[in-house]
Amino acid sequence: MTPVDLHPSRRQFLTLMGTAAAAAAARFDARPAFAQGPPVKIGVLAIRAGIAAPVGAAGLRATEWWAERVNKAGGILGRPVQLVVEEESNPKDTVERYRKLVLQDQVEVVLGGISTGVTLALGPVAEDLATPWLSWDGTTQKGVEETMPSPKWAFKSVDNEVEAIVAGILTPKYFKGIKTVAGIGNDYSYGHDCWESYQAVLKRYLPDVKFVLELFPKLGVTDFTSHIAAIQQSKADLLMCSFWSGDATIIMKQAAAVGLFKTMKGVFTTAGGVHDSLKKEFTPEGLLLGYNTMYFDDPKASALLKQFVREYKAKYNEYPPYECDHAYFDAESYKAAVEKAAGAARRWPEKAQVVKALEGIEVESLSGRRSWREDHVQMCSFYQGITTHKNSYDFVTISPVEVVSTKQAMKPAGAKLFDWIGSWKI
Amino acid sequence: MQKIFNLACGSFYALGAYVGVSAVAWYADAGGPPALFVVPLALAGLAAGAVGVVVERGLLRFVYDRDETFQLLLTFAVVLMMEDALRMIWGPSPRSTSGLYLTYGQLQLLGATVPVYNLIVIAASLVIALSIGWLLTRTAFGRIMRAAADNREMAEALGVDMRRVYAKVFTLGTALGTLGGALVIPATAAMSEMGIELIVEAFAVVVIGGLGSMRGAFVGALVVGVLRSIAISVYPELEMLLIYLIVIVVLVLRPRGLFGAAAA
Repeated sequence: MTPVDLHPSRRQFLTLMGTAAAAAAARFDARPAFAQGPPVKIGVLAIRAGIAAPVGAAGLRATEWWAERVNKAGGILGRPVQLVVEEESNPKDTVERYRKLVLQDQVEVVLGGISTGVTLALGPVAEDLATPWLSWDGTTQKGVEETMPSPKWAFKSVDNEVEAIVAGILTPKYFKGIKTVAGIGNDYSYGHDCWESYQAVLKRYLPDVKFVLELFPKLGVTDFTSHIAAIQQSKADLLMCSFWSGDATIIMKQAAAVGLFKTMKGVFTTAGGVHDSLKKEFTPEGLLLGYNTMYFDDPKASALLKQFVREYKAKYNEYPPYECDHAYFDAESYKAAVEKAAGAARRWPEKAQVVKALEGIEVESLSGRRSWREDHVQMCSFYQGITTHKNSYDFVTISPVEVVSTKQAMKPAGAKLFDWIGSWKI
Repeated sequence: MQKIFNLACGSFYALGAYVGVSAVAWYADAGGPPALFVVPLALAGLAAGAVGVVVERGLLRFVYDRDETFQLLLTFAVVLMMEDALRMIWGPSPRSTSGLYLTYGQLQLLGATVPVYNLIVIAASLVIALSIGWLLTRTAFGRIMRAAADNREMAEALGVDMRRVYAKVFTLGTALGTLGGALVIPATAAMSEMGIELIVEAFAVVVIGGLGSMRGAFVGALVVGVLRSIAISVYPELEMLLIYLIVIVVLVLRPRGLFGAAAA
């Protein structure tokens, strides 16, 4: 199948004409290289409602920022990028929209997917429809184990539990003498898996540590008063929390109200997802806080990240979270793979050639160099550190910043998670 | 009184929360003293209740005489629309009120640390409950409300303008919801879907307490709140299960709830 249709429909013809007109106008504007060919349609699945809407919005904003830059620089092999955005919701509806993107909109690639509950269903559909799918944040894991070890078309996010593993590695470094630990996470696969993984890792470093309490409130709860009372009662030395949305802010606020972290250490594996809502008034210094794969205030930030943060703040009055990095990386790696597969002839490649080129490819993303592992899993670095008030914002940031690679903190292709953790030489 | 099963009460609560966040932010920007933040917060919460007139006059009045299923569907549609409207106005990210929660400090009570703001909210709830009780039992408007709830046609025959009464009662109920949302916001964060969670809990409260009973709602809320806390401390896995087990027991053994009026 030739991806560039030589017999366009009326709608495609109008789009072509529009693009040609825009290109002509651009020439009169004497702008630099403007995309010439027919647009390359890129499908995007973004959560736009519910608890994960902020994460979905961040991914979509970064994709739009990328598309704008790419189009200004001449598109991909001279073809302007055209995003076709659909909603990620429940697995059934999202699968239908995925089919629509591929079969009706005839996109070249689909980017996006955040909830593993959804992407677990998308993986096999991507294989059936023979169109590359690059997930932002969703995996095809059932629990902590992989269900699609050798996909052809599906490219998955980092394993869900990596941030908990990174936190488990860093906990003994920053919190000496920890003997008892309480845990709280959302009552679904991610919350439970993070807690299990964190315990397994911490046990390797601190064999005598005791896990005295585990709480799993459902996603979306806005009152943790009773949970915090139970955590206080447990008298644990440390609280591990894997909340990543508004509930991270709420528990921080309600914990501060009863002085929880005056006597207890705290590890928030992914609360960097809502980092600019963790105000200094109620978020203490000295907690271990994870930002997933991108830290907006990285002292070693690249020029690309600095520009992105600056423009994101100017446009949305917020500082970008990690989902932007996943989304940017997916889009940028697709572009690089198309260009690589096109070769010197610069002929638009078949989808299968693009997929082959994606395997092992490395590109510059917002957070730095990132790549696709041969088994189609994202490789990157995780940013965690100790909360500090010494900054110019009204929310906490981290210092020092610890950067841990997925080469260290993610199970290798084909490995069983707990066997792999058990095999570490410590 | 209106015999409407209003699912949108949760959305009014969420609206109050968002309006409260904005009011407090505006107040802080205007240089208002932090100790008085609760005043603009409560006023904004009450003012947001004005949306009740719009919903009642614009939508609900058309379904008073229809089947309850219509009313449920209509108010559920309002829930979904409000969720989207909140997201469009305030954006998808959770909104919160910085550190105002701790403005009034903390107290040590029976070995526990309690934020003074929580005590203010508890006191405000009691004042509101007593005021509503006084309104219902000691004022002419309260007597009209009770009479209309008992027999709408008779009340109308005696010259009561039911359109005005319904609009007032519904707006009052809406204002209580929006005020509740505003008052809770310093301790939490506003999220567009927070209304749904409240509806589910409110359902348990009214089933246990008894539909149409104020005393029942008060006791039902206490039962649900205390049981949740005990379950979380003793056996966290039972938190939700325990509450809905009681809901089922009440529905089977005492369908009118603890304080509900017996069916005619």
